Amino acid sequence: MNGIVLENLSKSYKSETVLDGVSLTVPEGRMLVLFGPSGAGKTVLLRCIAGAVDPDAGKVVLGGVDVTGFEPEDRGVGMAFQNFALFPHMTAEENIASPLKARRSTKTIVRQGVDAVARLLKIDHVLSHPPKALSNGQKQRTSLARALVAQPHYLLLDDPLRNVDAKLRYEMRLELPRLLADQGATVIYVTQDYKEAMAFGDQIAVLDGGRIVQAGTPEDIYLRPATIGISELFGDPTINLLDVVPERDERGIYITLSDQRIPLGDGYDAAVGKPCTLGLRPEALAFTDLETGIPVVIEAETPFNEKTVTLALTKRGREVLVSRPAGMPGPAEGESAFVSVNWRALLLFDRQNGQRIVPEGESGRTEAAA
Amino acid sequence: MTDAVLDRVPRRRVRISRKALPYLLSLPALLACIGILIPFFTAVAYSLQRYRLSQPWARKWNWGENYLNFLSDPSFWNTLQVSMTYAFLTVGIELLLGLGIALLLQRRTRFNNFVSIMLLMPLMTAPALASLMWKLMTNPGFGILSYFATLIGIEDFRWASDPSTAMLTVVLVDVWVYTPFIMILLLAGLRSLPRQPFEAAALDGVPRLFVFWRITLPMLTPFLLTATLFRMIESIQQFDIIYAMTQGGPGDKLTVFQVEAYLNFFQSTNVGRSAALLMILWVITYLLSNIFVKNWLRLREKQRGAI
Amino acid sequence: MITISPIERILRGIAITLVILFFMFPIFWIFLMSFQTNETILRVPPSIVFEPTMSNYSALITGKLETNAGLLEFEFMRNLWNSFFLSVSSVAVGLLLGVPAAYAFARLKFRGSEDIAFTLLSFRFAPPLLVLLPLTIYFQQIGLANTYVGLIWVYQLIVLPLILWIVRGYFEDIPADVEHAYRIAGHSWAATFRKIALPLAGPGIAAAGLLAFIFAWNNFIFALVLASADKQPVTVGALAFVTASGIQYGQIAAAIVLSITPTLLLALYAQRYLVEGLSLGAVKG
Repeated sequence: MNGIVLENLSKSYKSETVLDGVSLTVPEGRMLVLFGPSGAGKTVLLRCIAGAVDPDAGKVVLGGVDVTGFEPEDRGVGMAFQNFALFPHMTAEENIASPLKARRSTKTIVRQGVDAVARLLKIDHVLSHPPKALSNGQKQRTSLARALVAQPHYLLLDDPLRNVDAKLRYEMRLELPRLLADQGATVIYVTQDYKEAMAFGDQIAVLDGGRIVQAGTPEDIYLRPATIGISELFGDPTINLLDVVPERDERGIYITLSDQRIPLGDGYDAAVGKPCTLGLRPEALAFTDLETGIPVVIEAETPFNEKTVTLALTKRGREVLVSRPAGMPGPAEGESAFVSVNWRALLLFDRQNGQRIVPEGESGRTEAAA
Repeated sequence: MTDAVLDRVPRRRVRISRKALPYLLSLPALLACIGILIPFFTAVAYSLQRYRLSQPWARKWNWGENYLNFLSDPSFWNTLQVSMTYAFLTVGIELLLGLGIALLLQRRTRFNNFVSIMLLMPLMTAPALASLMWKLMTNPGFGILSYFATLIGIEDFRWASDPSTAMLTVVLVDVWVYTPFIMILLLAGLRSLPRQPFEAAALDGVPRLFVFWRITLPMLTPFLLTATLFRMIESIQQFDIIYAMTQGGPGDKLTVFQVEAYLNFFQSTNVGRSAALLMILWVITYLLSNIFVKNWLRLREKQRGAI
Repeated sequence: MITISPIERILRGIAITLVILFFMFPIFWIFLMSFQTNETILRVPPSIVFEPTMSNYSALITGKLETNAGLLEFEFMRNLWNSFFLSVSSVAVGLLLGVPAAYAFARLKFRGSEDIAFTLLSFRFAPPLLVLLPLTIYFQQIGLANTYVGLIWVYQLIVLPLILWIVRGYFEDIPADVEHAYRIAGHSWAATFRKIALPLAGPGIAAAGLLAFIFAWNNFIFALVLASADKQPVTVGALAFVTASGIQYGQIAAAIVLSITPTLLLALYAQRYLVEGLSLGAVKG
C-alpha cells in the first residue's frame, strides 16, 4: 500500500492521552482532511508522521516503508505549521530554499525552485525580506512555499489558514486545492474549520479525544454523522438537538414534538421506547402556513450572506434554529408561525452512548436531500 | 523544478541514536563535574578522620570525633557566631538599602537607568580587590575614611585592625560590593510589576505608604526572597572580603567558616577539623539552597511565562 | 501620574546623591590615588589637587618597583596575563562543555535531566573550600598542582553552572516548531543545532560568556589555594602585593585600577544581561 498509512498510533504526555490508537490510510496522491476541535490531537498526529514527536506505540508507514523511528530529515515529508515556524534569522528566500539546500541541490536548481514556487504563491516580491517584515498572509505563503518547494511525496499541512485574515483565507480556500492537486502529493490537511474541511476534502477524518471517530466523504459526515459530537462539530448554525422518545402506533414509528406527531422513516424499530436525541439541521426545518406544523414564536433573526437564521421558541419552551435561503420571506420577530420538519433529513441518536441510530436499510448514498 | 536531485522517498540512514544524543551532549560537562564530586566525597571522609598534614603517621578514622569535639570547642562556637552575625548583618543591611535604592530608581528615566548601571560597578569589582581598596581608604596613616573620622571627632579610628570595629569594617565592604546585587534584582522586579493596581490605587487616592505595604511589597515578595536567599547562601560562606582584609583577625574576631577552615588546613594543618567545619557549612548552605532553588524555579517559571 | 511634592523631590535628590557618593567614591578615590606619589598620598589633610604622575603604572608595567628598601622585582603584568588567560580559557572550555549540555537540557528532555541540571546548579552554592582542600592533595598526586589546566578545570565550578542555566533559558525560548521545521526540511540535528539553535541563542551565549568571564576574573579563592606565584591571577597577586612591605601606596592603587578595569568595562558592555546572569536566568532585566 502506498501513500500514508498509520497503524494504531498512541501518544500520552504524563497521564494525558493525546492519541489513542489512531489508524488512518491516505491513498497515494489523495488528500485527507483531518478535522477536529482544538485539543483533539491533530497537531501531535502530524508531528508523529513528520518525526518531530515519537509515538509511544503504533506505526507510521510512508510509501510502504515503515518510518517509525526515522529521523525527521529522513522521511521525505513536507510540512507547513499553523504558527508558520519560519526561521526568524533568514530571509523568506532562505527559508524557502532550505529544503532544497538540505538536499545538496546546485545553486541553479535552488534558484529555479524557489522562484517557481514563489511565483506560484505570489510572494516573489518579498523574497528578500526577513519573516518579521512579512504580513501574516505572506508568512503563511512563505511557510507553504517552504513545504512545497522540494516537491515532497507526503505533505502535512497543519491548519495553515488559521492565522491569516478572512479575505486571504477565502482566496486560499479556492486556490489551495488546485495547487495541491497539481503537486500530486499525498496530503494530510488539518483544520478545525468545518467549512474548510467540507471545501477541501476528498475524504475527511474526524479526530476527537485522540481517536478517529468517523471517516468518510464530506457528505457522509454532514448527513450521516456517527455521533452527536460530530453532528455538533459540522454545520453553522449548529444542529438542533432535542430529547425525544420514539413511539409506535398503527401508522408507524413517530416522535412527538410540541404535541405534533412527526413520523420517522422506516427502519427505526430498534429505537422505539429508547431515550433518544433528535438532531435537526436548521435547514431541515422550514416555516410553513400549514397548521400541521409546530407552532413557534420568533425570538430573533440573524441574516447571513447566503441564508437567514431564525431563533424560534416552541410552546414547550425549547429553542430551535431555523434557516432559510436569503431573500425568501419569513415571519418577523415576535410573530407566531409554524415550522415543518423534513423528516427525511432528521437524525436520531441514542442518548445513552451518543451513537447515531442507523435506520435499517440505509444505503451508503444520498437518499436524503437537505 | 527538477526531480532528479530530490530524495523524496523515506530512507533510513545511520544516525546517532535519538536516545543517546542528549547524554552524549551533556556528557563532557558531566565528566568535568564528576572530577569535582570526587573531592567532595574525599572531604566527607577527611571530616571523619584524625588527619594532620604535619603528622601523617597518626592519620586514622575517628568517625564522629571531630564533630563531637565541636560541642565543647569555644572556637567553633565563635566561628558559628561570627558567620551568623556577618550573614545577618550584611544581608539585612543590603536588603534595606537595596530596596530603598530600587524604589528611588524605579521610574524608567534616563538618569535612573544611568545611575543603576553606575551602581553595578562595585558588584563587578572582585570582592578581594574591593577589600584592598577599602584597606587603602581605612589606613590609619593616610586613609581618607580615617581622615573623615577625625573630621567628625573620632580620633584614631582603627577600622579593621581594632577588634571592636573589625566586623563593622568588613560588613561595610560587603555592603558596598553586594547591595547593588539586591538593588538590581529588586529593580527588575519592581519594573516588571503590572501597572493596573498602582494606577487604580492612585485614582482612588490610597495613601502611598499603604500602597507600598499592601501592594508593592507583597507583589515583590518572590524577588525579595530570591535575592535574600541568594545573598544569604553567599554571605555565610564569605571568604574573599574577610581574608583579603584581615585574614580572620584581629585575633579570632572574623574567623568565619571558610576562613577558619582555610587557616585550620594551611596553618595548623588540621585537615580533619577543617573538613568537618566545611561539612557543617555545607549542610547549612544545602538547606538554604534547597529553599532557594524552589523559590527560584517559581520565579523563573513566572518570568518566562510573562514574556 | 503621581505628583511629587517639592520637599520629596529634594529628599530624593539628597538620597540619590548619597547613594552615588557611597558607591562611586571608593573607585574614584583609588583611581586618583593611582596617579599620586607617596608624598601626595600621605598629605594631611588629603586633597584632590595634585600633580598626576604615571610613575606607578610604568613601574608596574616594567615590573621594577622602587621601595624604601630598594628595587623590588614584581611581575604584576604576569598576574594580569594569568587573569586574562585563565578567564578566557575557562570561559572557552565552559562554553564548549556547557552549550551542548544546555541544549540537551532544554530540548531533548531525557531521563534524569532535571536532577543532573540541579546537581550542576548546586555546585554554585556549595562552599568552594570543601572541594578545593581535598583537590590540593589530589592535584599534588596527579601533577595538576599549580598548572593552568588544573586551574581551568576547577574554574568550571563557577563558569559551567552559569553558562548552563543562562543558555538553557535562551534555548528554551526558541519555538520548538522552528527547529522541527528545519529538521523536516531535511537537516540533521547537528545542522539544526548549528544553523538554528546557536544563532538564535547567540545573544544569550555571548552574555553568558561575558558574565562567566567577569566571575572567573573576580575569583579569588581557587587560585589562592591552588596556584603559586607564577600562575596567580590579579586578585591573589594584588594581595601579595599589599603584604609585601614598603611598596608605594600609589602602586597598589594602580594595580587595583588595572585589575578592576577589564571587568568594569565588560559589565558596562553587557549590562543588559547582568540581571539575568546574576539571578542565574531567573529574572529578566
